[in-house]
Amino acid sequence: MKAEISWLDDPQTFRVNQMPAHSDHRGYATVAEAATQKSRFVQSLDGQWAFAFARDPQHRPLGFYQPDSDRSDFEPLTVPGHIELAGYGQIQYINTAYPWEGKHYRRPAYSQGADQPEPGMFSQDPENTVGAYVRHFTLAAGLRHKRVSIEFDGVEQAMYLWLNGHFVGYAEDSFSRSEFDLTPYLQAGENLLAVEVFKHSTAAFLEDQDMFRFSGIFRSVRLVAKPRLHVEDLTIQATLTPDLETGEFSAHLALSAAERLAGSVTATLFTAAGEQLWTTTQAVAEELTVKATLPHVHRWDHHDPYLYQLRLSVVDDAGQLVEVVPYAVGFRRLELKDKVIYLNGQRLILNGVNRHEWDAQRGRAVTVADMERDQRVFKAAHINAVRTCHYPDQDLWYHLCDRNGIYMMAETNLETHGTWQKMGVVEPSYNVPGSLPQWTLAILDRARSNYEMFKNHPAVLFWSLGNESYAGDALVAMDQFYHTVDPTRLTHYEGVYRNRAYADRISDVESRMYDPPRDIEAYLQNHPAKPFLNCEYMHDMGNSIGGMGSYMALLEKYPMYQGGFIWDYIDQALWVKDEVTGQPALRYGGDFDDRHSDYEFSGDGLLFADRTPKPALQEVRHYYGQYD
Amino acid sequence: MANTTKLNVVYGDVTLGLSGPGFRYIFAYDRGGLESLVQEGKEWLYRVPTPAFWRATTDNDRGNGFSVAAATWLGADMFKTCTAINVVVDGQAIPLPIAPENNRYTAKETATTVTVTFTYTTPTVPATTVDVAYTVTATGQLTIAVHYAGRAGLPELPALGLRFLCPTPATGFDYQGLSGETYPDRLAGGQPGTYHVEGLPVTPYLVPQECGMHMRTQWVTVTRATTQNNSDPDHQPFQLTLRQAAHPFAFSCLPYTPEELENATHMEELPLARRTVLTVYGAVRGVGGIDSWGSDVEPAYHIAGDIDHDFSFVIAGPVAK
Repeated sequence: MKAEISWLDDPQTFRVNQMPAHSDHRGYATVAEAATQKSRFVQSLDGQWAFAFARDPQHRPLGFYQPDSDRSDFEPLTVPGHIELAGYGQIQYINTAYPWEGKHYRRPAYSQGADQPEPGMFSQDPENTVGAYVRHFTLAAGLRHKRVSIEFDGVEQAMYLWLNGHFVGYAEDSFSRSEFDLTPYLQAGENLLAVEVFKHSTAAFLEDQDMFRFSGIFRSVRLVAKPRLHVEDLTIQATLTPDLETGEFSAHLALSAAERLAGSVTATLFTAAGEQLWTTTQAVAEELTVKATLPHVHRWDHHDPYLYQLRLSVVDDAGQLVEVVPYAVGFRRLELKDKVIYLNGQRLILNGVNRHEWDAQRGRAVTVADMERDQRVFKAAHINAVRTCHYPDQDLWYHLCDRNGIYMMAETNLETHGTWQKMGVVEPSYNVPGSLPQWTLAILDRARSNYEMFKNHPAVLFWSLGNESYAGDALVAMDQFYHTVDPTRLTHYEGVYRNRAYADRISDVESRMYDPPRDIEAYLQNHPAKPFLNCEYMHDMGNSIGGMGSYMALLEKYPMYQGGFIWDYIDQALWVKDEVTGQPALRYGGDFDDRHSDYEFSGDGLLFADRTPKPALQEVRHYYGQYD
Repeated sequence: MANTTKLNVVYGDVTLGLSGPGFRYIFAYDRGGLESLVQEGKEWLYRVPTPAFWRATTDNDRGNGFSVAAATWLGADMFKTCTAINVVVDGQAIPLPIAPENNRYTAKETATTVTVTFTYTTPTVPATTVDVAYTVTATGQLTIAVHYAGRAGLPELPALGLRFLCPTPATGFDYQGLSGETYPDRLAGGQPGTYHVEGLPVTPYLVPQECGMHMRTQWVTVTRATTQNNSDPDHQPFQLTLRQAAHPFAFSCLPYTPEELENATHMEELPLARRTVLTVYGAVRGVGGIDSWGSDVEPAYHIAGDIDHDFSFVIAGPVAK
């Protein structure tokens, strides 16, 4: 197959030769190895790559992925990271309008009719910067003679992949893991990996989040080997019967074999203290399900995020252990009863915050230390819930939320704000995805990637369809998708508030943003159809968070008021060296000669961009502490 | 020998001087205010205190247009005229004691209490007045009462206070009140207690703006270690204490005026810190938080321009040695 640059222009081409999305479980060779969380089947490709930058597709180095290509002008570049923060390409911050505002007139493909595919919009875009990445690798011992895939955890915004000169595949969706099978093209000794990253594609219309606009390989890359028998996918359901005492556990497995699908799988549940609770063994099959009913289970919730440990041991037909898959299991019961959301029989109160991934040095390429610090801030401020605004986060964040009992609204990577709201006015004349079939598959794929990767996390209570994308048939399809694959969780979407025609088909909750308390009260007093939550409230831009008590008072008056998520967790600003003093300074939108910009609107956090708390955090700690 | 039960009063031609053990205060007719506040030999005033009306625009103020609606108060904050001065000695109003009126006095005048009231007229349309009355007793304690005369047609006030500019930056301050930075609509999380703040921190909002407010304060003690007095080589810390009168007060203690903060788009644009800007507030507008593009601060936390406002507080006299 040949890579086509025209894919950049086609909303119907968003994944080529990618492997299906699946659970974020990891395989290990032995039980002891699983305990270390360092799998011999994994080889990190983070670190130094070679890189060349082109200002547009016309100037990109054609054929750079060929082994014999001249790459003498390539420069070292550290992966993961944003191209712009490495000094290539202009940094830009913009909120709702698209980043090409004032520079290019654009309407999304097919938004003005099925006969208007807008060819060349991005493939011939004179400002669509391109990053050409190459990296050599030799397989580590644990990966040799096995099936090997490559995982990209985040590449913004469209990428083409080659191995040893062979085209491997294409991916969009900047914030979901993209995985490709490298097995057919691997060679002994040194291999040449090449990635071509385009800043813009039709995905740009779907990724109009209020954030700095970056490009590049900004999350980790790794090679992953599959042993002879491999758990491809794992779907855990751990719920409680209505008595809230009895646990109902099931794990559905999909398995693959290098040669022969034969052997057995043993599934064992351990308590947090390591005592074996239950075990079963089944013959290996392409798909199998194990189930257990467990009396008196220890429930998982914010205050007591108790996690059992599931261990899957895959043994071949010679009796040899080939793969061990551990996964943390939390039992909880989420239900919508009399229009109120209950968790484990208790009314759910969301003391939440929206969190963009942000680091003032590294942009969205956040570190483990950033995430662990954020969890500590959450605990100290009694924040019990997080909305992953407005895209899936790094997978470690979900594991940390499991461990620390942080309820998650897991959001799909979708925001098309600029296609339906202009200068604050609802104007959806060229909205995507709307009800356009040409855009529907792309957003369903984003939903599937979100679901498959994070479906096993007890912390995830809500699947969020995305942010501020208006409403149409495409979002109905997404809501149906989540409900079909997952009966244990609720769907969330605010955008239907802007198009009430879809109110009964999208979102299990009435979600709004920035409604004053009196308007929320009017909803709650007027035959409300769904429980209410603020997907965004208390806009903490600069010196703010006044009047929070009026929102908290609603918790006492209305059971259907279930709290919300403060906007937002951390200011988006970047450390630069001040041109005048040479001292470090935090800069925001517009400080990079970036126009059009929304300037200081990038800073609305409870924390300053350097992660020190704003004074208002003590107010949040006080009020959230009252309901913690 | 110093008079320990009465104030020494100097009926000058340009000023009224009041002194006692460890203090000397000078009220300047030509400057229109309290020109000098010296305790234990240390000067605390750089320019006369004047009413404070402005706060550096917050992001929420910008978003909801409050700064535009209240812009007249920016002018009033920077520019106002002292239009009347009244002097009361031991409860008796006297004609302004400048020559030749003051020829009746001697070099040994004393009094039990003296009140000097400065009336400031704003350049707003319509104009209004603020009276600032300083009552000094023999211990050197100053009780300061501020009266804002409401006028129909005046927009809501961003702030109402009295601003003191000290000649050099403070090394820090201590206060009894609420923890952290608080505003009338954001003080539930403030823990009552006694706090020390090192230096004069400016809250580093991305765009410098109103910050550093401390609501419900019983007292604040500001510490400095430097003066502009060339003959004073001493760099030992020295202090000035403000206490509540009938009610707790709000204050901020910063190195900048609201205008200096207003003018900066980034922290690094703020000038080098040279002064202490200590402002005592009788009324503070809430910061709001519903959104940053239109929603107003909740009504209970506005400062009406068309009604009277009064507040008072005390500057403690020098600590007896």
